[in-house]
Amino acid sequence: MSEHKTIGKNVPKVDIRKKVTGQAQYAADLYFPGMYYGKIVRCMDHAHARVKRLDFSAAQKMPGVVRIIGPDDVTDKPYNTGVLDLMVPKDMGEILGDIEDQHIFTRHVKHQGDAICAVIARTEAAAEQAAAAIVVDYEPLPAYMTAAASAAPDAEQFTPQKPGNRAFQLPAAMFPGNEMAWGDVDAAFAEADFVVEDSFYVPKQKQAQMEPHAYIARYEDDGRLVCWTSTQMPKLVQNKLARLFGLPMSRVKLNQTVIGGGFGTKLGMVGEPETCAMAMAVPGHYVKVLYTREEDWLTSESRHPGDYWMKIGFKNDGTPLAIDARFVNYKGGYYTHGSGTAFTTGGWLAGMYKVGALRYRGESYYTNQVPSGAFRGYGNPQTNFVLEQLIDRACAKLGIDPVEWRIKWHKDVGDDGWCAGVPYLTCALTECLERGAEAIGWKEKRAKYAKQTGPIRRGLGVSVMNHTSGAMPMLLEHTVCTVKLNEDASVEVLVACSDMGQGSHTALQQIAAETLGLPFECIHMKTNDSDDTGFDIGAHASRTVYVGGRAVMAACEDVNNQLRERACVHFERMQIKVSPEDLEVADGQVRIKDNPEKAIDVAEIASVGIYNFVNPQTGEANGVPGQIQGYASYLPSHNSPPFGACFIEVEVDTETGEVRVIESVNTHDIGCAIHPDSVEGQMDGGLQQGLGNVLTEEIYYDENGLCLNSSFTDYKMFGPSDMPKSQNILIEEPDPEGPFGAKSVGEAGAVTPIGATANAIFDAIGIQFTHGPITPEKILKKIKEEGLTF
Amino acid sequence: MKTRSITLHVNGEARAVTVPVHHTLLEVLRDDLGQTETKYGCGTGECGACTVLIDGKTVLSCLTLAATVDGAQITTASGLESNGELHPIQQAFVDEAAVQCGYCTPGLVIKTAGLLAKNPSPSEEEIRKGLEGNICRCTGYVKVVKAVQRAAETLRAAG
Repeated sequence: MSEHKTIGKNVPKVDIRKKVTGQAQYAADLYFPGMYYGKIVRCMDHAHARVKRLDFSAAQKMPGVVRIIGPDDVTDKPYNTGVLDLMVPKDMGEILGDIEDQHIFTRHVKHQGDAICAVIARTEAAAEQAAAAIVVDYEPLPAYMTAAASAAPDAEQFTPQKPGNRAFQLPAAMFPGNEMAWGDVDAAFAEADFVVEDSFYVPKQKQAQMEPHAYIARYEDDGRLVCWTSTQMPKLVQNKLARLFGLPMSRVKLNQTVIGGGFGTKLGMVGEPETCAMAMAVPGHYVKVLYTREEDWLTSESRHPGDYWMKIGFKNDGTPLAIDARFVNYKGGYYTHGSGTAFTTGGWLAGMYKVGALRYRGESYYTNQVPSGAFRGYGNPQTNFVLEQLIDRACAKLGIDPVEWRIKWHKDVGDDGWCAGVPYLTCALTECLERGAEAIGWKEKRAKYAKQTGPIRRGLGVSVMNHTSGAMPMLLEHTVCTVKLNEDASVEVLVACSDMGQGSHTALQQIAAETLGLPFECIHMKTNDSDDTGFDIGAHASRTVYVGGRAVMAACEDVNNQLRERACVHFERMQIKVSPEDLEVADGQVRIKDNPEKAIDVAEIASVGIYNFVNPQTGEANGVPGQIQGYASYLPSHNSPPFGACFIEVEVDTETGEVRVIESVNTHDIGCAIHPDSVEGQMDGGLQQGLGNVLTEEIYYDENGLCLNSSFTDYKMFGPSDMPKSQNILIEEPDPEGPFGAKSVGEAGAVTPIGATANAIFDAIGIQFTHGPITPEKILKKIKEEGLTF
Repeated sequence: MKTRSITLHVNGEARAVTVPVHHTLLEVLRDDLGQTETKYGCGTGECGACTVLIDGKTVLSCLTLAATVDGAQITTASGLESNGELHPIQQAFVDEAAVQCGYCTPGLVIKTAGLLAKNPSPSEEEIRKGLEGNICRCTGYVKVVKAVQRAAETLRAAG
C-alpha cells in the first residue's frame, strides 16, 4: 500500500469542514420563497383499524390552511417503500412473492402512525393546528403483535395478496421445500454425539439516526416534480416516484441532500410519496415536510425482530455435523423488504462454518408494528446472537476453547459464502481471531476469571461473522460513472453514490485521484443531482466503495486510455513513435514507461482538445480535438465477503443485573483500508449499535400495539460513558475484485459485538440469554430462577 | 398571539426580531434568523443537537423560549471560526476524523466548547461524562473523545 499516493492515507474527509462549521445543508435547512409546510395526519391511537369517516371541515377553516388532501385526492396506486423489488427481475419478483401494499394515505391502518391525510399550510404551526382539528372516525381491529398471533386462522387479513398473513417464505421454486439447505440434516443429526438447541427472540431495534426525516417537494404542471430528500437510494426513488405519479423519469428530479445518518432507515422511500403528493396538490409551491422525532420512531422502518430457533449437532471432538434453523420474523404492517432479511439471515448462517448439513427456513408474518425493513447488518445481527451463543454452549460442554473452535471450523477460501455458488476469494478470519485474542488477552484473562469469586463477575466472549460487499448475484449491482476532464486537468466525477457519513465520497475521490494520477484536491465529486448522474443502486449491502469504487476506477481508466491514445499523436509531433501500451498516466502526466523523462502534461492534452485551434494557414490543429470524458457502466462479478471477529470483556454485577462492557477488540478483514479513519469509524459506530442491540435497545409496544418508548429517554442507546475501551485491528489481505483490494466494512462492525457480548456474559456468569436485549431485569430474573449464588 | 421584540447577539452580531412568546430559541435561530447550523434532533431536550452557548454556558435551544433570552450572547457552531480559520475544537474534530454524518456535530462542537471552558484539562472520564446529553449514532464517541482531548491540548498550549 505504501506505493499509493492517496489510497491508505487519512486525507481530510471531503465534507468534514462544512460539517464542523454547520454549513452542511440537510433537507430541513433549506428554505424557499413562499414555502408551504405540510403535516401528515397519522393514526396515533390504534395500531390496527379501518378509517370510517374523514372530516376536514373544521380544519379547512383554520387560518393559514391552503389545502387538505386525503385518499380521494391522490393516486391510489400501491407502492412499496423498500426498493429491493427493483433489484430483481420481474419473474424473480413473482417467485419471491414481492408485492406492493402501501398507499400514500390509507383507509386500513396497519401500524400506529400510518398516514391518513395531510394538511398544507403557510406555516408549520398552522399545519400542526389544522392537523389536530381533522376528525377521523376509526373502527378498531385486533392488533397482532407476534407472528403467531397474526398467523392464527381467524386473524384479520392484512392484505388479500398474502393469505394467512404470511408476507414471505423462501420460495420453493428457488429453495426446494422452502428451505435453504445442503446435505441430509436429519441423517447428520442421527450421527451427532450431542445437540444444542434453543429458541431465541431477537429484538426490534431502531436505527435512530440523528437527522429526523425531512423533505421538500415542488411540482410544476408543465414542468417537473422536484424532490429534496436524504434518501440512501436516489436513483431508485426517482424511478418509484415517477411510476407512482405517472410521470416519465425525465420529469422527476431528485436532489439528494446531506444524509444525517441512514443505517437502512432510508433504504428506499419514507415520506417522499406524501410530500410529493402534497406538492402536486399546490403546483408551483415548495412544500416542506418535517417529521418530528416521534414520527420518525413510529413510522420509519426498523430491524426485523422475531423468533429464531436453531439446533446444531456435534461430534465429541467438536466437528459440527448439522445446523437446522428457522427464523420467523415479524414484518410489521407492510411488505417493504419482505423478501430480503428472511433470506439473508439464512445466508449469513450458511456462509459461516464448515458444516456437513444445513437447513434454514425463513418466514415473515405481518404484525401491527412499524414495518421491519433494512438496518445495518440485515439479518446478520440476528444470526450472530443465535449461532454464536449455541457454538459457545457446545464449546463449554466439550471443553473446547471458543477461539480455537472457530479457527478450525470457519469457512475459508473456496467455500461458498452467503450465496450458494459464489465462493470466497479471500478470508483473513484466522488472523483476525489470532490477533484479536492476543490483543484482548484472551487466554490469560479467561484463565484468571475461571477462578473468580464474589458477586462481581468478569467474562470474555468472541464472535465471528461473514458479510458481503454488494448484493450480487441475488440483487442487481450496477453503478454508472462519468468523469469530466477540464482543460486544467481538474476533474468532476459524476456518480450517484450516497455518503451517509461512512466516508464513501472521500474514498471514491481517493480512488479517482489514484487512478487518474492527479492530486486529490483537484477532483470534485458530483453526486447529489439526479440530472447529472447515471444509475446507481444506492447505499446498501455495503456496496458503495466496492461497487462504486470499481465504477469510478473504470471511468477513470477510460479517461486514461483516451489520454494515452492522444499522447501518441502528441509524441509523434515530437518525432517519438510510441503506442498506448508504452505509456503510463501518473503524476498529472502521460509518460513513456521506459523513459519517464519523456512526458506530456495531462493539462496540455486536455486543453488542446477543448481549445482546439486550427491554424488557418497550415490547416493543422494544435492537438487532438474533443473534450475527454470517461464513462463506465459497471456491474461487478463478485461480492467479496469480508470477515471479522470481535472480542468483548464484560463485568456483570449479579446483585443488580447490570452489565458493564469493559473492553472491545474488533478485528476486520478489510482487504485494503482506503481511508483507515473511515474504516475505523464504521467499526466504532457499529460497536455502539451492536452493544445496544444485545444489551439495551428494543422498541416496546403495549398489548394494543401502541409504542411505549418512542423517544431517546426511553429507547436506551449506549452513550459516551457506556462505551468500553476499544480497539480496532484491520487485516489487509487484498481482495482480487475489490478496488485496490478493498472489501466492505459498513455493516460488519455492528454484527460481531452482539454474539461476543452474549458470550462474554455466559463466560462471566454461566448463563445464556435467549431473549434479546439482555437487560438487567432479565439477568436478575434468570439468576433467581436458576437459584444461583455468586 | 402574544409577541415580544427582542435582540439576540448571535455570534457577535446584534439581531433584532419580533417573536411569538411561545417560540423556542431553536425555532427563532433557524426560521427567523437563518442560522440553520443549530439542529432539530428531537425537540424535547434529549439529544443535544440544538446545543448553543448562551453567555458561555451550554443550553438546549429547543427547550429555551426565545423571548426569555432577550439580550443574550449566543454562540453557535458557525460562530466559532474566525477569519475563515477553524476554531481549535473544530480543527480537532477534522484532524481526528470525528465526524461522520455530521448532524450531531454542531451541537457536539458547542458542547465541547462549554466543557473545556469550565474544565480545560478534563480526564477521559470527565470528557465522556461532559458529553452526555449529546447523542451521536455514527461514531460510537470513540474519535469524538479523541477530538476533545486534542482540542484541550491545543487550547492549553495556546494559553
